[in-house]
Amino acid sequence: MDLNFTAEELAFRQDIRQWVAANLPEDISHKVRHALRLSRDDLQRWARILGQQGWLGWGWSKEFGGPGWNAIQKHLFEEECALACAPRVVPFGPVMVAPVIMAFGSPEQQRRFLPGIASGEVWWSQGYSEPGSGSDLASVKCRAERQGDKYIVNGQKTWTTLGQYGEWIFCLVRTSNEGKPQMGISFLLIDMKSPGITVRPIVLMDGEPEVNEVFFDNVEVPVENLVGEENKGWTYAKHLLAHERTNIADVNRAKRELERLKRIAKAEGVWDDQRFRDQIALLEVDVVALEMLVLRVLSAEKSGKQSLDIAGLLKIRGSEIQQRYTELMMLAAGPLTRPFIWEAMEAGWQGDLAFPAANLPLAGTYFNMRKTTIYGGSNEVQRNIVAQTVLGS
Amino acid sequence: MDFDFSDDQESLRDAVRRWVDKGFSFERRHAIAKAGGATREVYRELAELGLTGLAVAESRGGMGFGAIEAMVVCEELGRGLVNAPYAEAALMAPALMAAAPSVLQAAWLPRMAAGEALVVPALQERTARYRLNHVGVHAATAGEMWTLTGVKTLVPAGDEADAFIVPARLQGAPDDTRGIGLFLVDRGAVAVHGFPTHDGARAAELVLAVTPAMLIAREGWETMEAAVDVGLAAQCAEAVGLMDRLVAITVDYMNTRKQFGVPIASFQALRHRMADVKMQLELGRSMSYYASLKLGEPAPQRRRAISQARVQLGQSMRFVGQQCIQLHGGIGCTDECSASHYFKRLTMLEMTFGDTLHHLGEVSSRMQDTAGVFA
Repeated sequence: MDLNFTAEELAFRQDIRQWVAANLPEDISHKVRHALRLSRDDLQRWARILGQQGWLGWGWSKEFGGPGWNAIQKHLFEEECALACAPRVVPFGPVMVAPVIMAFGSPEQQRRFLPGIASGEVWWSQGYSEPGSGSDLASVKCRAERQGDKYIVNGQKTWTTLGQYGEWIFCLVRTSNEGKPQMGISFLLIDMKSPGITVRPIVLMDGEPEVNEVFFDNVEVPVENLVGEENKGWTYAKHLLAHERTNIADVNRAKRELERLKRIAKAEGVWDDQRFRDQIALLEVDVVALEMLVLRVLSAEKSGKQSLDIAGLLKIRGSEIQQRYTELMMLAAGPLTRPFIWEAMEAGWQGDLAFPAANLPLAGTYFNMRKTTIYGGSNEVQRNIVAQTVLGS
Repeated sequence: MDFDFSDDQESLRDAVRRWVDKGFSFERRHAIAKAGGATREVYRELAELGLTGLAVAESRGGMGFGAIEAMVVCEELGRGLVNAPYAEAALMAPALMAAAPSVLQAAWLPRMAAGEALVVPALQERTARYRLNHVGVHAATAGEMWTLTGVKTLVPAGDEADAFIVPARLQGAPDDTRGIGLFLVDRGAVAVHGFPTHDGARAAELVLAVTPAMLIAREGWETMEAAVDVGLAAQCAEAVGLMDRLVAITVDYMNTRKQFGVPIASFQALRHRMADVKMQLELGRSMSYYASLKLGEPAPQRRRAISQARVQLGQSMRFVGQQCIQLHGGIGCTDECSASHYFKRLTMLEMTFGDTLHHLGEVSSRMQDTAGVFA
């Protein structure tokens, strides 16, 4: 047992740190540091910078043009990006659909789609949830009917994050009603410029149109856009969910935000209030414990010696902690977070307010983060999975 | 970074587990508790396994093992609900003796390592709560002779011990960290009043009245703080073993016990409770590793890490203990059910060397701008 990284790992970390410091645009990191609104251009610019370095697909093997890093190296890369206040990479392309195309797509699909994902040129969206299919994802109804060399897609997807920017979308569609619901699902790649697609933003409670409804009205999709076999899409989707398990805990961002919470608490004077400070201390313990949990999973992946049944815990704990630090930041600033001013999410905005506007986004962030215990398989569904493992029944 | 155990560490774990499985059944443990909690015979058996010399240097007749080996042993002792004062006598006492003059070490450590001498720390005073620096017992000197006067309480296995390591005040106010000396006091020299504890063991009150004592160190604060951190890390490990076994017992029960015609493990309200229990167990295990891995750090980092670990373990112990009783239903509240004994031990552990609120205060006052495992 050893808590320390190896000399090679530390050198690797140092290289990443220097590269990020030299290449992350300051206007972008400023927005991330203060939780301000990121534009499509901000996200795309950072994606392309990573893409040029060959690191947008930082989890990819060398075979597909990735860096071929091991679990620890991936973690260190994520940590350095997070601590430097880089935006989170929009995961739908490089983290979600790419591994499915690599594992189950045809060589032709790999040649066609992976370069655009790796470079950050093509914006991908995710078409999983439907109005009637949330936690019960296998009940998707959006239909794809085979007609000659095309599928005709009809139905609706929802909660499509940043779908307003999407150029391509990967969808779970129903191609059969026979057998168990899981059996009739296919994994389809759809060009969002296709006639018959309508994207309608959904404004969330923080006032931001972060997610969308996507409607499909007789959309024609060439059959060569089917990944793998027809009716096997559920298996591919599960493969996707099993990918990047530790990243979902987002412990690196939690460490950064805990530092920010302390700064806010000091500025607002609650740092010296023992009752408030103890709440921060509790969160600090939570963050350290989560980091240890993540490191245990990474170490087990690296050595392959022990099989751990704890990966399912990471999403639950990570999302709870994300909610907690946004809650405490809001409470630290208190009444000054009450004004709802849309422009306050823009960098440099002060308006004609006499008090500093820096705390204005805190309540919105708190509202926004309620999603974390709901998306990606609600925490209640995660508990079902954990219980299954522990109880063996 | 590596969280695998070495082959030697796994062998050590197996050895302790085999002894527990063969020689320390719940029935035996229950009988010891009912008879008043005397465990000197159990401690002798641990000595036969070589475990009492684990933390003593090889030059003093021990094995000179480190924090991870100690953690492995304590996890297994926890799993077996072993009620001997292992952490106190085999891990903390040698850590305190490290400050002693060579002559004293040579006289005591080999016997301690062999388990022939049971030496336990006597740290607790009536009004101290968890303040280690609150030392009212005072030391006086007449020429080369030292004597101690005052009362120590909750001394682990006090009426079975052969000697005590006693902090006593040489100078300063009751809460000063300076002026606390460490002394070795022979069992025969002191009035000892023993009593059973809720967790099936024994403790005692020591009444020192101009009692002769041997000086270990004139300034003992740093040694004491470090030794208590050794004890806290050991507790964390024991708690992990206790929780691990308690969860396994509870899982078995949930899969066997039927109500409404089905195993109670099929009810989602209970399944989710078990998922939460598993969460607390694994967060606890993670922080137990953290505590033992940080024991060798400089004092400020070590102190902060140990208290962070103890805050997590304190929460885990309480939650896992309470919920596993709840998941057992009525039977969990009985003396015959082993779960209740695991619960009682977990509860008493939390109130030794600082409870969760105490350690939260430590974390709170030691917070830095940055946080995390490597901060």
